[in-house]
Amino acid sequence: MRIRDIDKENLVIENAIDQIVRDGFQGFSMNKLAKACSISVATLYIYYKDKDDLIQKIGGKMALKFFSGTVKDFSPDMSFEEGLWKQWENRANFTMKYPKEVAFFEIIKHSPHAETILDSIKEFSDFRAIMKQFIDNGLKNKELIPMTFEAFWSIAYGPLYTLLNFHTEGKSMGGKPFVLTKEIMREAFQATIKALKP
Amino acid sequence: METDLHKIHIFKTNIDKIYPDCAINTTLGNHKDIQQWSVDCEDVDRVLRVVSETLQPEVIIGIINELGHECQELP
Repeated sequence: MRIRDIDKENLVIENAIDQIVRDGFQGFSMNKLAKACSISVATLYIYYKDKDDLIQKIGGKMALKFFSGTVKDFSPDMSFEEGLWKQWENRANFTMKYPKEVAFFEIIKHSPHAETILDSIKEFSDFRAIMKQFIDNGLKNKELIPMTFEAFWSIAYGPLYTLLNFHTEGKSMGGKPFVLTKEIMREAFQATIKALKP
Repeated sequence: METDLHKIHIFKTNIDKIYPDCAINTTLGNHKDIQQWSVDCEDVDRVLRVVSETLQPEVIIGIINELGHECQELP
């Protein structure tokens, strides 16, 4: 009898992420994936219609995991400084805990799959609404200077993601070994807040 | 509702292309006992996936063979 096997499904997801991060979409195939999971190709097609379907379903799962990780213990009603720090902490924790998933997400983000995936997750609009409310509250409470959204985003999160990239690669400029610590993150955060506050 | 996994049939074929008015599309698309179908033309096995409450694999193989394509059930 065919039973939906959660362990098997997780094994498929894990191996698919591994292969896509390593070989990209082009080098990835359902056959190779089935082999890596020691399951038959038919089993794989029971769950997924084709390669695109698989990429989109797994991408959706990862996106949801990322969104829920980002809003953990966060409320749009927090003061701007407290809330943004929580965002930094949550995003840093996620990146450090799930480096492969993040690498996979980066590949997806720059592919035509991104839109399909985001449209398929109803929680995504909730996430956007929460983040928008957080910014609106910051503006209303005069904790944030008004600016173009993209300019805001690049200043609010750019420094964090630069540090996280250094951390993931294990080195910074000129190959200097680097490990991100809470102190360094704080240092960058203080400068970021200073730039965003009126 | 989730599809009953018993009703999903998987085949290896040599269907290399599906276009709007091709025989495969017309036949499978209009078949009253087929709820859903797709062919992964990018895969080496050109995998055909058919969701049907009633059709047996042999019947589906018969349909595909009649349309001039190879078709065998994947274990």
